[in-house]
Amino acid sequence: METESILERIRRIIGDTDPVWVDDQPGDPYLVVPKEKLRRLAIYLKGDPHLAFDTLMCLSGVHNMGEPDEMEVVYHLHSMRHRHRFVLKVKLDRPPFFPHFYLRVDSVSSIWPAAAWMEREAYDMFGIHFVGHNDFRRLLLPPDWEGHPLQKDYREPEAYREISTTREEVEGIVVGS
Amino acid sequence: MGLATETMVLNMGPHHPSTHGVLRFILRTDGELIHMCRPDIGYLHRGLEKIAEQLPYAQFMPYTDRLDYLAAMNCNLGYAITVERAAGIEVPLRAEYIRVLVAELNRIISHLISVGTFAMDMGAVTPFTHSIREREWVNDLFEELCGARLTYNYIRFGGVAFDLPEGFLDRLSRFLDYFEPRLEQYNRFISRNKIFKERLVGVAVISRQQALDYALVGPNLRASGIDWDLRRDEPYSVYGDLDFDVPLGNPEFGVVGDCYTRYWIRILEMEQSVRILRQCIVKMPEGSHWNRSKKKLKVPPGEIYVRTEAPRGELGFYLISQGGPWPHRLKLRTGSFSAMSIIEELGSGLMVADLVALIASLDVVAPEVDR
Repeated sequence: METESILERIRRIIGDTDPVWVDDQPGDPYLVVPKEKLRRLAIYLKGDPHLAFDTLMCLSGVHNMGEPDEMEVVYHLHSMRHRHRFVLKVKLDRPPFFPHFYLRVDSVSSIWPAAAWMEREAYDMFGIHFVGHNDFRRLLLPPDWEGHPLQKDYREPEAYREISTTREEVEGIVVGS
Repeated sequence: MGLATETMVLNMGPHHPSTHGVLRFILRTDGELIHMCRPDIGYLHRGLEKIAEQLPYAQFMPYTDRLDYLAAMNCNLGYAITVERAAGIEVPLRAEYIRVLVAELNRIISHLISVGTFAMDMGAVTPFTHSIREREWVNDLFEELCGARLTYNYIRFGGVAFDLPEGFLDRLSRFLDYFEPRLEQYNRFISRNKIFKERLVGVAVISRQQALDYALVGPNLRASGIDWDLRRDEPYSVYGDLDFDVPLGNPEFGVVGDCYTRYWIRILEMEQSVRILRQCIVKMPEGSHWNRSKKKLKVPPGEIYVRTEAPRGELGFYLISQGGPWPHRLKLRTGSFSAMSIIEELGSGLMVADLVALIASLDVVAPEVDR
């Protein structure tokens, strides 16, 4: 199915006004969905026989520092049955106070099991919480690591369990300039 | 009345020889039977995505070598295509053919290692030394081409770093002449070996639905009977002009989606790679190998997701540019990552020894999981 007709079908289920279609930039166009509607839409995207997005190719977190400070979760979907693809995005505010309270989005791991690990990775790297995930913890970093490294304002802790994360400076070689 | 049994927690790894890099599994077992299998990954996490955000585009190329060190050319290629599409860089035809040539050559040696270590994990050490022997020849070819044997950093935006040296294609076709009959030898040696088959047929079957659910890619997906190969279905570079088959798992080999099929698919893919390489040798056009731009690389603001078929399946680069000299975000989506995530589901119910077969058959490479 062509991207336009996919979009039309999605508009019909989600209501005309909410989703924002972004196609004015080079590369892949994407649809920005309000986070309250993500789960319902995901069920529809997988279940609808004309769309049949049976594979979640990629789930990525993105952090845009600046005005406003926000995070994105990007879902790259692919349908093995119809051989078409589609990009969904959810935007999350990141206010300066209690950001973890706002960085929450419904988990899609019960719809696409592949999301289970991808969401854990997004949590690990960005601190985005996925609500309804049944095994939610860090994936790549140790459980007691502080912070989420792919946030743009992340500062590496000086030591982890008393092991320094920087090297001593050797004469003539500048480390971590 | 059954025998009273007790479960115990068994720690496998992080330095177990069958884990292909540093991986750890926490198993709850009842005798030989696994009740729960929990992979613990991250031992090789190097923060490649963070590094990418801090380096100019071209400087990230050597890091893609380290993404999957068994298939560095394919990782180079995926990253180069991503940036070229985002920045609108043209690639000369000769460079495209050289790229396909090195990518397929790399696919062969990557599958060789996969097949060799698979046999080794099953207790047959000799086939591994044979596959290393064949691989050595290709390593020599690559060394001649770009000076490196493992991490090549050979593909550049707009072409490849060096043209083919004199007589390279002759030496390559000599290698292919040598290698093709060797494949048959492998088949006599392990593929049709009764012990090897008994050990693998019907073990750890992945159904079509499971393969889709867990977003398996590449040979693992095709072993479950799903006809999908990015080289054919979303052709990039010059794959559209080349003639090759996509081997699929079918009941002829045993059970669709079992460990043996995943092994056998790789043998068949090597045959197809040889076919592609022979076509590349014949079709190799004259011309420039690098459309080298004097201008500074400029990637306009925007985002793109590009996927290519690496030996371990779909290798996706999700690039977001804000127009700066480095990416705003570069997400690496690798085949081994999704292959690892299915082990958690498939592991329970297997015997401990079959878990080793499952890991080996999925051809998981730890640095690609952890990035």
